[in-house]
Amino acid sequence: MSSSERPARARLQVRVAATFALGALVLAAALALVTYLLAERYLLDQRVRLVTRQTYLDARAARDSLGGGPAGDPAEVLDGLDISDRRQAFIARGRDWYASGLTAGPRVLPRSLRDLVASGESGRQRFSLDGNPAMAVGVPIPAIGGAFYEVFILDELNETLAVIRNSLFAAAATTTIAAAALGTWAARRTLRPVNEVSTAAARIAAGDLQARLESQSDPDLEQVVTSFNSMASALEQRIERDARFVSDVSHELRSPLTTLAASAEVLERSADSLPSRSRDAVELMVGEVARFQQVVQELLELSRAEAEVDPLDLEAVRLGDLVVNVTTRYRADPLVVEISPEVARTALLLDKRRVERVIANLLENAASHGQGATRIAARRDGPLLRIEVDDEGPGVPESERTRVFDRFYRGAKSGDRGADSSTGLGLALVTEHVRVHDGAVWVEPRDGSGARFVVQIPWRPA
Amino acid sequence: MVEDDDRIRRALRLALEDEGYEIDEAPDGEQGLVSHVRNDPDLVLVDLMLPGISGFDLCRELRKTSGVPILVVTARSDTHDVVAGLEAGADDYVTKPFAVKELTARIRSLLRRTSPLAPQPERLTFGSIEVRPDAGIVCRDGQEVGLTKTEFRLLCELAFHPGIVLSREQLLERIWGYDYFGDARLVDAHIRRLRTKIETDPADPNLIVTVRGLGYKLVP
Repeated sequence: MSSSERPARARLQVRVAATFALGALVLAAALALVTYLLAERYLLDQRVRLVTRQTYLDARAARDSLGGGPAGDPAEVLDGLDISDRRQAFIARGRDWYASGLTAGPRVLPRSLRDLVASGESGRQRFSLDGNPAMAVGVPIPAIGGAFYEVFILDELNETLAVIRNSLFAAAATTTIAAAALGTWAARRTLRPVNEVSTAAARIAAGDLQARLESQSDPDLEQVVTSFNSMASALEQRIERDARFVSDVSHELRSPLTTLAASAEVLERSADSLPSRSRDAVELMVGEVARFQQVVQELLELSRAEAEVDPLDLEAVRLGDLVVNVTTRYRADPLVVEISPEVARTALLLDKRRVERVIANLLENAASHGQGATRIAARRDGPLLRIEVDDEGPGVPESERTRVFDRFYRGAKSGDRGADSSTGLGLALVTEHVRVHDGAVWVEPRDGSGARFVVQIPWRPA
Repeated sequence: MVEDDDRIRRALRLALEDEGYEIDEAPDGEQGLVSHVRNDPDLVLVDLMLPGISGFDLCRELRKTSGVPILVVTARSDTHDVVAGLEAGADDYVTKPFAVKELTARIRSLLRRTSPLAPQPERLTFGSIEVRPDAGIVCRDGQEVGLTKTEFRLLCELAFHPGIVLSREQLLERIWGYDYFGDARLVDAHIRRLRTKIETDPADPNLIVTVRGLGYKLVP
């Protein structure tokens, strides 16, 4: 049950975390994009203004130097400028071009800009130069019959923008991861009450009817807690009422049964002097009274075990002796007894009466349904004591392997009892007695044919 | 037989008379006491659930004056009733519903007078305790101690094997006639009662000692 719940719970947790993360991602990405665009625009504007002003200043200087007439040498003017590899200046006079560097000619300037400047307008244009972003500014200088251009390579700006971009990306990623973590935490916190409900419900299902939820300070949760706890109380009361009913009925039957049994025995004693029909009737009556007595005794034992009236009465027991005594007491036909040396030499803390009942009932069950037990084995299995009772009967079909431990369960042909003298309570008692030992009992198929009943209880040396 | 249920009484009387026993019936504790004084029975069968004086009180009253074997009939086999009944002085118990065979087996076992164990010494002495198995007498500092038959048999069993640990199963088998699966609480309760009668300090016994996980032994 819990295994089918767990993935659903995990999915919900993942979903909440994913929602948080996605929300944070969208928000962070939007903010980063806007920030980036604003930063880019601002930085570009600033750069453009700077570049433009620089060009105008340089252009004015060129005009002043060359304005005196054709004697002025544009190359000298260009030399006087503070030129770097990120910045080049050109002077056009008539058809002649002068450049501040030797590497690049006027061809680097976009034609549209040259056309604009040639028409007497100043202008600027962004373009790509050898794969780098660049900006060209052109200023016509009518006084020299030419124009002044400067080209700036803007890769620094790109680097700055790249740093900003990376920072924003990292920030967005961090935010997303943080949001996912926050979402997981929040989901876990929110789901904790659900988990508690689930755990408590599982405990109730496992038989711990006293499982309750703790009171919560949150009013929303408190409502769940109150409802759950009242449901659990109602369930507990109901189960207790049912159990008490069975126990009360059994108690009420004890006195009449004692009378019946004694009377039947008196009749049985004088059966020889009765007519044969009466003798048959007495025989039937005596047999059924005995069985009736056994049912009542076992019902009482079962209800006492379920109500946990008797504490587990642990004492040092040699299981080997116990098994030998049980087998000699309850059956005569041969049976393989395999007690491992470790089990044989260790005194174990067991409730002798209960273990006796467990083994006796398993032998009885094998006799009624499995043509008699063929082997009984006990050995240590790590932290557990393992007891096996085998038979070579028809085995237990898979669909009935848990139901055989239900009270009054008699297998597929439950209507047809035939000569079956069992009470139908033996295996239910086995379950209860094993359970108070903190153990488990189940049935498995054997190789070939037959059933193997396995009891496992904690290995507790005395 | 002290039993308030008229029908059970009648049925058990029929069944036990078939076994050759003579029965005196009493429907409640008061009449049970009267009958005990008047008829001096070999064994008293007491239902623990009685109107008026409870079965427990009846056992205690009987024990003040008598060592007669008492077999109690309990409604439940739970620890509390059984132990309380044994503490009140019962020698053994059967749980309702029981078969008459079970009851007669218990009665026979309680009526067995002597331990079947062979040669019994005339007297055994352990510190201030003197046991005379043939006379059925136990003296402490020369004063006779009143033991019930079961207590006496238990003490003799231990006294015949001084220093040897007897398991609860062995004691159950030899004194009560149970097999390996008898109720060990019978032994424990009787040992406790025996100690209060013969030990100097029953809380710290030095005559009948418990050997944990094994059983009991008498220290010579």
